[in-house]
Amino acid sequence: MDVMAIEIVVPAVSGAVQGCVYGLLGLGLVLLYKSGRIFNFAQAEMGAFAAFMTAFADAGSGILPDMPVWAAVFFGMITGILLGLLVERVVVRPLFSAPKVTVVVATAGVFLFLYAIEGFLSGPGPRSATRIIDGDLYTNGGLRITNLGGIIVLVLGVLAVLSALFFSRTRMGTAIIAVSQEPTATRLVGISVERTAAFTWAVAGLLGAIAGILLSGTNGVIAPGLLTGLALVPAFTAAVFGGITALPGAFVGGVVIGIIEALAASNIPKDIMPGSGKVILFGALLAVLLIRPAGLLGKET
Amino acid sequence: MSMLEVDGLRTGYGSLPVLQGISFSVEEGQTAVIFGLNGAGKTTTVNCLAGLLPVWGGEIRFDGKKVSGKDAQGIVKAGISLSPEGRRVWPGLSVMKNLELGAWSRKDRNKIDETVQMVFGYFPRLDERKSQLAGTLSGGEQQMLAIGRAIMSKPRLLMIDEASLGLSPKLAQTVFQVVSQINDDGTTVVIVEQNVGVLPYADQALIMEKGTITFDGRGEELEKSGELRRTYLGDAAAAEH
Repeated sequence: MDVMAIEIVVPAVSGAVQGCVYGLLGLGLVLLYKSGRIFNFAQAEMGAFAAFMTAFADAGSGILPDMPVWAAVFFGMITGILLGLLVERVVVRPLFSAPKVTVVVATAGVFLFLYAIEGFLSGPGPRSATRIIDGDLYTNGGLRITNLGGIIVLVLGVLAVLSALFFSRTRMGTAIIAVSQEPTATRLVGISVERTAAFTWAVAGLLGAIAGILLSGTNGVIAPGLLTGLALVPAFTAAVFGGITALPGAFVGGVVIGIIEALAASNIPKDIMPGSGKVILFGALLAVLLIRPAGLLGKET
Repeated sequence: MSMLEVDGLRTGYGSLPVLQGISFSVEEGQTAVIFGLNGAGKTTTVNCLAGLLPVWGGEIRFDGKKVSGKDAQGIVKAGISLSPEGRRVWPGLSVMKNLELGAWSRKDRNKIDETVQMVFGYFPRLDERKSQLAGTLSGGEQQMLAIGRAIMSKPRLLMIDEASLGLSPKLAQTVFQVVSQINDDGTTVVIVEQNVGVLPYADQALIMEKGTITFDGRGEELEKSGELRRTYLGDAAAAEH
């Protein structure tokens, strides 16, 4: 491979895969924002919690039996759904009439709570995460796409399309949008606002769990707060980039920022600009907010 | 037995009482109009009947069955529907989606399209704009949509809060005429209104003041009595009359 390929193609491809992970996490953020105008600070940590449960089940720690990998992943996803339901019931629902900013701050509280629980269960240090599949899908010189990377791209694509169809085609999807626009009218036609919120948080919990399990699998290790530190802000950037209410936007936004981050990190020498990937990434976020605040796929309102 | 019986109803917001124990009833097939100044408790009354506000005391019966204590979902299922104050259509959804959501509580999903056609029959304007977002409609069209959405659940009792607010006199008359047609087609109607132009369509008229009912009688009786002049224009105007 020539120099051009090594400096452009390799980071672009690995960045796109990494960007899909951001997009996956961004999908949950978009769902909650679209349905209730809430930015969930705990989204990444909810995913991390599910990844912890998967790792515990995989290793058979504590009271859990030693499960095969598929069962451990399934267990982690169920934990994610239950966690979403619990957060809605205990934190979000009692704050239904409170200003949105109160709910957003409460989700930051949920993050800190989960962080502490994870530290209590697992200890402060890292433990090895469950990797659902090993091996490489494609290698050519410096270019390497792992099987796990391939699965991430596939899962994100399928979930982005499914969730977009959910909102445009199903009764429940329309009901969730209706609650966000006009809750009183939604009650009046006989829709349970509480049930739709519970459903939304369950799905957000599931999306978070899938993102958390896949992301910690790529990292190889998991520690309290690690996913939030690594991925929450890029995921938010992906969601804003794509248009915070457009579900396929999270997909597109994730891939775009993954590529931008990787290209900047590999082409700007560290002695000129340390941490250049993130610096360029947030520069791009600011530019989008200033020039096209509705995002790439969002609608101007 | 009246279709709707309200007996000593008390409610309010937080700890602030608004309705001081009101009683009235509405017969099946009639149009009842509730008049009153701002703050008299008209909207509170219909919101409480629709299950949006808790019942503090007294009882609401529909077809002889107690419905007080049910939430909005239960009230819609029982056959009572409200077109709320301020229209409250879903601005980011199309006219068609707004109407379809109105039928959420219905079991006979295959018959919903018939009701949509019925709504379009009442309000041809909505048919022309069915794929337009509700937020882009004019005030009058949004009012039509709010009423149309409320009849999508096929209610036996339709309540409309401020049908004519913000509409031109001509458009207000059009809306009243359609409501009268809905009533002729068999739906019992309760309208909250400040516009006296609705009086010719009223079988029954009520006046509310400070959380109580001060007049309850036939529409034509109210026209003769001068009560409306007293309520809206004050005692002096009524004495002159």
